[in-house]
Amino acid sequence: MARFIARRVVQLILVLLSVTFVAFGALNFLGDPLVNIVGPLAAIDYCDEVEAGLREDSYTSINNAKGDCEIIGEAKADFGLDQPVVQRYFTWLGNIITGDLGTSFQTQLPVSEIIAQKLPKSLMLMVMAQIIALAVAIPVGVYSAYRAGRPVDRATSVASFGLLSIPNFALGVIVLQFFALRNQWLPASFDDTSFGTRIHSLILPATVLGLGIAATYQRLLRTDLLTTLQEDFVHMARAKGMTDRHIMTRHALRPSLFSLITVFGVSTGALIGGSLVVEGIFSIPGIGSEIVTAVIRDDFPVVLGSVVVIATGFVVINFFVDLFYTWLDPRVRAS
Amino acid sequence: MTTSVPSTTVADDIADDEALDNAVKKRLGFGFWVAVFWIGLVSLAALLAPWLPIPDPNEIANGTPRDGILGDNLMGTDALGRDVFARTIWGARISLGVGFLGILLGIVVGGALGIAAGYFKGLTDQIISFLVFSLLSFPSLVLALLITASLNRSFLTVAMTLGIVGIAPISRLARATTIQFAEREFVQAARVIGAKSRRIIIKELLPNVLVPMGALTLLGMGISIVAEGSLAFLGLSVEGEAISWGKSIVDGSQTRDLNQNSHVAFVPIVAMFLTVMALNFAGDRIREYTDVRETAF
Repeated sequence: MARFIARRVVQLILVLLSVTFVAFGALNFLGDPLVNIVGPLAAIDYCDEVEAGLREDSYTSINNAKGDCEIIGEAKADFGLDQPVVQRYFTWLGNIITGDLGTSFQTQLPVSEIIAQKLPKSLMLMVMAQIIALAVAIPVGVYSAYRAGRPVDRATSVASFGLLSIPNFALGVIVLQFFALRNQWLPASFDDTSFGTRIHSLILPATVLGLGIAATYQRLLRTDLLTTLQEDFVHMARAKGMTDRHIMTRHALRPSLFSLITVFGVSTGALIGGSLVVEGIFSIPGIGSEIVTAVIRDDFPVVLGSVVVIATGFVVINFFVDLFYTWLDPRVRAS
Repeated sequence: MTTSVPSTTVADDIADDEALDNAVKKRLGFGFWVAVFWIGLVSLAALLAPWLPIPDPNEIANGTPRDGILGDNLMGTDALGRDVFARTIWGARISLGVGFLGILLGIVVGGALGIAAGYFKGLTDQIISFLVFSLLSFPSLVLALLITASLNRSFLTVAMTLGIVGIAPISRLARATTIQFAEREFVQAARVIGAKSRRIIIKELLPNVLVPMGALTLLGMGISIVAEGSLAFLGLSVEGEAISWGKSIVDGSQTRDLNQNSHVAFVPIVAMFLTVMALNFAGDRIREYTDVRETAF
């Protein structure tokens, strides 16, 4: 087990290196890095003209504290754009490891501070979505496997197929219209006053996200349960006269959860993407909304910082899912 | 395709054909053709949009602003009085366009990488697999966001982005399929008679790898169409006046519009939902159908 973990940790580090490299590469190789950092002003000879006294420096940043030309100059220095790419990558990587994700060129706040403020809301949304997904998928999955081929099972199959075909933003818009606008049953936007109001105002968006994954979970669980129900120990339990309920929940469910756990990590990726979008619809000031704002303002350090944090989180979650899965199933450990 | 195993007798041949006919009858079914019909209809409307008798989708005040369904305009108008039906049809052009181009790119590049990795193995496989693994380490929307935020937001960029996102999962499937077929007798036979790698890949492996890819094209196109919508919600879909379903849904989901004339968002939502469902359904059916044929031989 120790050797297995060691191998996985090495793999994790390699993947984190490549993930940061891809993110950094996108900034540097797709288009002009300076334009990516400070926006289109860097593309024209704007600063040269200002310095030559041909035009006045403009102040488009949010707090008007610095002139655009000054910001461009700082960006050049901060990102060391006169150095070779590889050297810049390692400097940047070193900064990230020490927690320095750069400074937002629009608000002049450290990116790490912005993320620390926004991330908890997004995390809360995702955790609630996973809870809802499991709470829906496990009972429905067990029951549809128990009633395989009957009308109930067919109906759930159709419903989960429909759920898989409806994009989460579409479901979000529909749910928002019906539950929050037409009938004011639940809040339409995030309410940050207390823990209770936070939970309350996240019910709708978390349900939207949760239902999408619940469909995937339900399908997997049903398939796995059907296989498990063919096993000898299930026949044995039945022969001993145990009730169906006892067999389904105590004997068959646990060995059927493996695929679900594997997909848990993958579904987190879908959940992250989904929450980026759903946050906008339900006005949740999380990391997704922050990215949207940053993209509109051409605030690349914020986009890059958020992407690196999200991708790192995703990789780390999958790492732990992998470990947990191995710990749970001795067969995988052996191979 | 070229998976045909030499049949010994004519009777066997006939039995095979009958099995195939049954498979077609059992598997594809009525729903499949309804789905294909819908995909065809939407594609046709998208292709012919400039010549259809519908109003100019960008004409402001084409009808009374915020007019409901079945008023003067077939599907009503949005806040600026633009015709919702015309905008949905024009939206299909971009949504289906980026979806199709994206998945095409994903299949060409991802397929090539996957076949190369699965056929050559060794170092080639390790390099490609690591690249694929790194791409898969990004939640797909985050990867798409990173690319479109770095580049411009033209039609081709968005299509390319959706394609790049598809490369990793597609190449994994292509690699797995290639490995499976590379061990088969007909490939080894080709190698024994001295066929070059290029010939084996193009003549022997490619046709077999393309079969599961067919189903993936439909499923992947559905995913791409949804991904365009997600990008639109992040403000990263095709820029300017270009209309897509995603952008139309975003337009219609401002609180006031959604409250008073929700059809502005709901018409493109229904169009997108039906199309994605049709693509998923047809893709699933084709996958089951080709799977059955695989195991039947």
